[in-house]
Amino acid sequence: MKLLTHNLLSSHVRGVGPRGFPLRLQATEVRVIPVEFNPDFVARMIPKVEWAALLEAADHLRLAEVPKGPIQGYEQDETFLRKMHHVLLEVEVVEGTLQCPESGRVFPITRGIPNMLLNEEETET
Amino acid sequence: MSDVQEATNQLLHVNLHENQRDTHVTESVPRSESEHLRVTIGATVPTGFEQAAADEVHLLRSVDNLFVVVQELKDYQFKETKEKVLKDFEELAGKLPWSDPLKVWKINTSFKKKKTKRKKLNQNLSKEKIDNGRDKREERDVKKELSNNSLDSHILDYYEKPAIKEEISTLVGDVLASCKNETEESLKEDTDPEVLKFRVTCNRAGEKHCFSSNEAARDFGGAVQDHFKWKADMTNFDVEVLLNIHDNEVIVGIALTEESLHRRNITHFGPTTLRSTLAYGMLRLCSPQPSDIIVDPMCGTGAIPIEGATEWSNCFHIAGDNNPLAVNRAANNISSLLTRSQIKEGKLSWGLPIDAIQWDICNLPLRTGSVDIIVTDMPFGKRMGSKKRNWNLYPACLWEMGRICKPGTGRAALLTQDKKCFTKALSGMEHVWRKVHTVWVNIGGLHAAVYLLNRTPLAFVHPSGQDKEELLSAKND
Repeated sequence: MKLLTHNLLSSHVRGVGPRGFPLRLQATEVRVIPVEFNPDFVARMIPKVEWAALLEAADHLRLAEVPKGPIQGYEQDETFLRKMHHVLLEVEVVEGTLQCPESGRVFPITRGIPNMLLNEEETET
Repeated sequence: MSDVQEATNQLLHVNLHENQRDTHVTESVPRSESEHLRVTIGATVPTGFEQAAADEVHLLRSVDNLFVVVQELKDYQFKETKEKVLKDFEELAGKLPWSDPLKVWKINTSFKKKKTKRKKLNQNLSKEKIDNGRDKREERDVKKELSNNSLDSHILDYYEKPAIKEEISTLVGDVLASCKNETEESLKEDTDPEVLKFRVTCNRAGEKHCFSSNEAARDFGGAVQDHFKWKADMTNFDVEVLLNIHDNEVIVGIALTEESLHRRNITHFGPTTLRSTLAYGMLRLCSPQPSDIIVDPMCGTGAIPIEGATEWSNCFHIAGDNNPLAVNRAANNISSLLTRSQIKEGKLSWGLPIDAIQWDICNLPLRTGSVDIIVTDMPFGKRMGSKKRNWNLYPACLWEMGRICKPGTGRAALLTQDKKCFTKALSGMEHVWRKVHTVWVNIGGLHAAVYLLNRTPLAFVHPSGQDKEELLSAKND
């Protein structure tokens, strides 16, 4: 699971609503896989990123050199864009967990795939 | 408008072929500086996506099979008895203008030999030895044509994306098998390099024919064999002659693609794997923009997101399904894709902008309004799920998809056979989804539809759990 995906994920436990974001990320196995750098893609992604969530996740993965926020003229700043590219797309959580900040419910990540299924009770009112 | 586009518009010819339709494009194949080979290339595309395919046929992502047209016979007069019809086919074989199409076939084959050296190992080990003398001459001709031949680049483009057979594990198996076969083959084989092996494939559609496709293929094939003195071989052939019959139209062609392009990206099949060409058509309907987030919430084996990650690598793709088997297959297909691109690029394990998640479509763990495009193949009720379940599932799906989709700019392309259920579910959601276009498609005999929906500008408000249940059950009444 990439950090860009984590940035989109939100807990859907009943009654939690928007308070289910962001999910708390813990990882026991992480790998880095290079992905082709597309500056246009990264530049357009920047406004869509939820920064606090990204920084929190990056922090839990103990990533270094993560920009704290968009800088002035980031669209042309290749260094900045490459750092963001790395954080969003190249870091993959292979084994770990995602925890709902409101309900505490834990979702496992196995072989890179988060399992977000809830059981019957959790989906009923 | 380019020459080719004009030609396409003039020649756009719709032909129903079970699930497929032919579109024609005239291509110019330069033979030398002064002379030009003019041939017509036909392509079959998933029914319903003809116009989309015609718009970008050169990219070869929308088409299933490519062939060179030998002759197109509109308004063919079939005689009354089977014997007479088959006799006509036999006589037809000798009268057709084969030479230019065969030249194109030859050019195509020599490209294949250069691009797919591994394939040579599999099947042509013995042939290669025989052909060595001719190879040098062909290579020279081919190099001259490379510079000013637009057709070449499109054939090359296709071979940049190798077919399933070239997966490493199967390759090893094939090489071992062909080593065994090689000795047998070289004993049996004619040393005459001109003797090609061929087969005839007949596709027939129409109510009023008094013959079967097998009979037509057999008799036409017999005449082709007499004419060219080729050897007939149903499985290990060099030339595949196509006899496509639809009502009163007969098209004779020579195949340029060996394996339908529609299976290109999927190595692990599931019970209902969607054709890549269809997945491509659906994605294209949504006009993906750079950095769009594209989600398939019922991805099955992941055909749509994988096609997306391959063709629109400047977008981010998410494949999700509730079935663990499906998600694992999707993940395996993604890995296979990575393996292949590793070989191609010569790079060490490169990733793609795609992720897989196990989730429930009725309760998507995605932020509200975070997704730009949703493309999915909704359960048909025939192979997956049941019609009764669709009645409850469709409204819940549309609701959740409406929630995660970005208001104003978001859009969805949804494929379904249960058009009645879908239309009813949609009718209660006009404040969220607006239908802008419907494409009618034929999926393995089932008449299905792809609905293109635009997400209205209305922002989604989180109701309490109670409200949502009431709203959903009200729709089902």
